[in-house]
Amino acid sequence: MKGYSLRWRILLGVLVAVTLTWLAVALFAYREARHESEELLDAHLAQSATLLFAFLGDEAHELDEHLPRHHYDKKVAFQIWEGQNRLLTRSAGSPETRLSAESEGFSNVKVEGKNWRVFSTWDPAHRYLVQVADAAHSRDEVSGEFAWHLLMPLAFGLPALGFALGWFVVVAFRPLARLADSIAAQTPGRLQPIALSAAPREIVPILQRLNRLFEQVSRTQENERRFTADAAHELRTPLAVMQTHAEVANAASDEDTRRRALANLVAGSRRAARLLDQLLTLARLDAQYELPGKEFCDLRALVVDTVAQLVPAAIEKGIELEVDEGAAVTVRGAPLLLQVLVRNLVDNAIRYTPSGGDVRIRLRADNEGACLQISDSGPGIPEAARAEAMERFRRIDESGEEGHGLGLSIVARIAELHGAQVKLDSTTPTSGLSVSLTLPAMHPRPAEQQGAN
Amino acid sequence: MRILIVEDDPLLGEGIQMGLRQAGWQADWVADGLAARHALASEPFAALVLDLGLPRLSGLEVLKGLRGGGNALPVLILTARDSPEDVVAGLDAGADDYVIKPFNLDELAARLRALVRRTGGRAAAEIVHGKLRLDPAGRQVKLAGQAVELSAREFDLLHELLNHAGRVLTKAQIEERLYAWGDELESNAIEVHIHHLRRKLYPELIRTVRGVGYLIPEDGK
Repeated sequence: MKGYSLRWRILLGVLVAVTLTWLAVALFAYREARHESEELLDAHLAQSATLLFAFLGDEAHELDEHLPRHHYDKKVAFQIWEGQNRLLTRSAGSPETRLSAESEGFSNVKVEGKNWRVFSTWDPAHRYLVQVADAAHSRDEVSGEFAWHLLMPLAFGLPALGFALGWFVVVAFRPLARLADSIAAQTPGRLQPIALSAAPREIVPILQRLNRLFEQVSRTQENERRFTADAAHELRTPLAVMQTHAEVANAASDEDTRRRALANLVAGSRRAARLLDQLLTLARLDAQYELPGKEFCDLRALVVDTVAQLVPAAIEKGIELEVDEGAAVTVRGAPLLLQVLVRNLVDNAIRYTPSGGDVRIRLRADNEGACLQISDSGPGIPEAARAEAMERFRRIDESGEEGHGLGLSIVARIAELHGAQVKLDSTTPTSGLSVSLTLPAMHPRPAEQQGAN
Repeated sequence: MRILIVEDDPLLGEGIQMGLRQAGWQADWVADGLAARHALASEPFAALVLDLGLPRLSGLEVLKGLRGGGNALPVLILTARDSPEDVVAGLDAGADDYVIKPFNLDELAARLRALVRRTGGRAAAEIVHGKLRLDPAGRQVKLAGQAVELSAREFDLLHELLNHAGRVLTKAQIEERLYAWGDELESNAIEVHIHHLRRKLYPELIRTVRGVGYLIPEDGK
């Protein structure tokens, strides 16, 4: 669609409205004036006829000589008849035949190709018939003049009005131009709200929405900036590990040092891979505003499967894994993401629990929904630090266990996408960490729900 | 020369330690700020490699504590924080150098040598003492233009004595400077190394101050 100009719309609209109104007024005035002037002229005709009678009398024959001559003669005419058939006299501009067949009152006639307005009247003795006439075209001329005088100002006034309006519109639209300038001056990295005080009332709602949008964009950008900075920081460390050990291996003179350095190099690259994995997972999760492929899934089977994958890691570390899976519970969600969530939580628990400790996984369903609880006998998270434990790149523990502080962020994001609640608590009596995840209820099958109670 | 590494990442800490040892330094490694503060208070180090993001006590706090106590120990900050603000804050807090991860080990070792050299008041990389030339980077010693084969400990001992030329170093000071934690130390090790140095170089180079320690006189005296 092609754009249009508000200025031209307003200008044209006003000019057309003014012209039409003016024309309507002129037409009305013209008709009124014509009507009034007809009456006036008719009155004149009647009066002229009466006047002619005053001249008449016995000297009707000599009347001719007394009559005034004037070039307006062509516009007016009269005839005086004696009885019906004898023309006593007539004006110079008058035709020789009788003007009007009417013998009383007004009539419009056409004689010898010329239109006349005729007034006919008898003298009181009914001896003489006087007919007085105006040339119709002279009457038209009068109205024409009048109409012209009405329309003349429009002809001159309209362009003048157009210019004045144009100027006004340009002035009135200046704030829009200024607004465009101030929007053009914004840079994506530094969006400033646009001041509403100086803006015309009509565009304030637009500006308010725009400002709100600016704010959202700025917040998103700030988050992204921080995330990128943190990610860069976190990626540098495993890179430094890899480079350092590669150089050590390269320069090593004994086999033990070389082997140790190479083992560390592999560990470093494994760590970098894990970090990248987490970063990509988060980036993908961040790009989603709702769940892809939401489906009904059996949370119990999903938890059991996921925990089974982590059993070797637990055995290696000498940690007792205990699963209390309860009854089958169906939730609606993305199974792949729920697996990532469960794996992150259980993996975290194994990671931060010292050897010989235990990790308990408990799944329960009630009317409010499904509740998954993962408790460990690790160091736990102090109450004050629990809120920020979910933040990205936030590492609470000081155990030296490798990690990037992204696991819980991933859990939090997946939970958010599922409309689930994550709560950190401490376990009793070991004061380890206990994470509870509450997923909204999803029509648990009645028979199995009974079994759960 | 003994270096203290403060790095909370276990893999990286071990890597730096191994790398600096290969470069001829005696490298000790601690993983948090408090441990670093304790180590610095009790042992003599030639330089400090300091990470910024540390548990318990941040690197900047360690550095400020050090400088606040009037300690002029050369400090190299080794961190992943690369913003100009962080670099400025680190240098202004008293760091002598700032290296961003990931880094090159050879470069790190060279920067540490430069820092230690400057603390000794020398601009040249080589230490020249009469006919004797010691190259810390190449770990080579030449006497009148002839290369002399020294063991790692002998080299370090000579380096320490030359660095403190004109000053007496006690046996205990030498041991602290030469041996990292966990190094095995025989009771007469220092005497044996001094003996070897005198034999391989020339006897008058190192003087024994009885009951106190050893010294190399300042050049030209």
